[in-house]
Amino acid sequence: MSLDFALSDEQQALGEAIATMTKRFAGRREEFIQMILKEHRFPEELWQALCEVGLLGCLVPEEYGGNGMGLLAMAMGLEQLARRGLGNALLVLGAMDACCIVRCGNEEQKRRLLPRLASGEDKYCFAVTEPNAGSNTFRIETLARKEGATYRLSGEKTFITGADVADRMLLVARTTSAAECEAQGLPKAFGLSLFIVDTKARGIDLKPIPTHGIEGMIQYTVHLDGVEVAQEDLIGEPDQGAMALFNSLNPERILAAASALGMTDYLLERSCEYARGRVLFGQKPIAAYQAIQHPLARIKAQSEAVRLVTYKAAWAFDQGHHPGQVGPFANMAKYLAAEMAVDACDRAIQTHGGYGFSEEYGIIYLWTTARLLRTAPISQEMVLNFIGEHVLELPRSY
Amino acid sequence: MDSVVCVKRVPDTETKVQVGPDGRRIQASGVNHVLNPYDEYAVEACLQAREKAGSGEVTVLSLGPAEAAQTIRQALAMGADRGVLLKTDPACDYYMDPLSVAHALAARLKTMRLDLLWFGKLAIDDQSYAVGPAVATLLGLPCVTEVAEFAALPGRATATRVVEGDRVRMEVDLPAVFCASKGLNEPRFASLKGIMSAKKKPLETVDLAQGTARVEVVALELPPARQAGRWIGKGVEAVPELVRRLREEAKVL
Repeated sequence: MSLDFALSDEQQALGEAIATMTKRFAGRREEFIQMILKEHRFPEELWQALCEVGLLGCLVPEEYGGNGMGLLAMAMGLEQLARRGLGNALLVLGAMDACCIVRCGNEEQKRRLLPRLASGEDKYCFAVTEPNAGSNTFRIETLARKEGATYRLSGEKTFITGADVADRMLLVARTTSAAECEAQGLPKAFGLSLFIVDTKARGIDLKPIPTHGIEGMIQYTVHLDGVEVAQEDLIGEPDQGAMALFNSLNPERILAAASALGMTDYLLERSCEYARGRVLFGQKPIAAYQAIQHPLARIKAQSEAVRLVTYKAAWAFDQGHHPGQVGPFANMAKYLAAEMAVDACDRAIQTHGGYGFSEEYGIIYLWTTARLLRTAPISQEMVLNFIGEHVLELPRSY
Repeated sequence: MDSVVCVKRVPDTETKVQVGPDGRRIQASGVNHVLNPYDEYAVEACLQAREKAGSGEVTVLSLGPAEAAQTIRQALAMGADRGVLLKTDPACDYYMDPLSVAHALAARLKTMRLDLLWFGKLAIDDQSYAVGPAVATLLGLPCVTEVAEFAALPGRATATRVVEGDRVRMEVDLPAVFCASKGLNEPRFASLKGIMSAKKKPLETVDLAQGTARVEVVALELPPARQAGRWIGKGVEAVPELVRRLREEAKVL
């Protein structure tokens, strides 16, 4: 009987590749971190380097220009970046889009879209949330009306991360309205369709939403006023987009957990480094006090456990397990990772004392980023609902 | 254009090095290792020479513990074609001085066909600057160190050395040895695709017959901790005193 936790040579090499890549920017690390967390911009040089390494190609098969290393590799890569304080939400969004296109796109679409997505030449964001449809995607109202060989999209999307820097967005719209579905007795999951939309298309208007917590990106409200989308840019069958959409939510949660893991490592490292050097009473550094040390040790122990669940979830996805089987682990990983990241940031602030709030030390910027993970990409409550209903088989609670 | 590039596995520059319990080497646990940064320039130089010539092979040669295979794979992931590891014996864990390393590398290199033989100008762990020139001597090949610019022609190469205050351009007959300096090129990253294909590239491991230590490390110490800064004064009035101290105390002026 064996259960092997050893990293493969390629997984180790992946870690070293990210280390080598980030080392190239070691002198500018602080500048980059400030840019990402304070200015909500992502350094283009770093993006190009990530593309060169090929992190975006993990979920794209080799025949379509990716490297096909899978979600576990991507999660490890993202974790490595985050543990150096370098987070990027666009990587996660691009990964979701890649999932949808790989699973549901036709051959022509895969050949046309995936190589440029995998190489990072085209940046992709993801547009599903609407003012009246957050956790309940079925309530989206953005409508896509067929007119000959094109669709015309109208509606409003909100909290769309990186819509300004993205070249394209994967947008979820209704091709059959909720009212029509109800009238025809169709299930509420019917009528959702996925479109690839050019972010610079006519009829699109972006309005920034001043928010905190998103790393390296700004969120936008996207107004769509009769935006023309060619039929070739409908991914999958019309009205049947729900399944593809839900399949891509597992990777999103897993990658969010991986980011939280890396962030936790980063915060622990910063905390230990500060505590070792800070002497307040006598000769001992504050690191020698149990009140400082124990919470950090507890988070370290927690992080090893969260890492196992996160990797297991990614592994299950890569094995091609049914989304319903990946879901429990993806949700559990996200839940545990978010709680841990908040805890880690809280302890990092506490360890740093007053400096925990100083812009110079920068820990305080991560507070909103860590806290965001309890709300997005899915709220902790919705995760618990999922586990209650689908894992424990309790009655649906909402 | 066939090249061989010699690489070394070294502790990551971002690692905070601790002295081990024996006081003679660094604490091995918790240390990340990387491809020596100067060797990255050397690998890139070989890859560019191969691309420019349109043919040839790039072989990566390393001397080190079994884990150095990982470092060779990193160079293979960048695009090199094959690797050779001269594996040291963990039971025979003494410091190999540069000349011993050079002898071991040269013995293998004598059997290899090559036009270009590249090294990083130094390894960041022991900074001896010696292995490249020593190998060149043992092989009787011309050697150019501190190479900051390079171009290979059929049978010849030009290399520019950047030395204090000037740049010296040299022409040399091939085969020859070159030691890469910082800024020679912008090394490409090992891509994930490269990592996947590196897995399939040949990597030969040879057990190294080790002799006995000729140079012994007696003690390893961390540099003294940096002293806290001192206020000399504020504004323009402080300048003469600052200059005086820089000259008399710090002796940097």
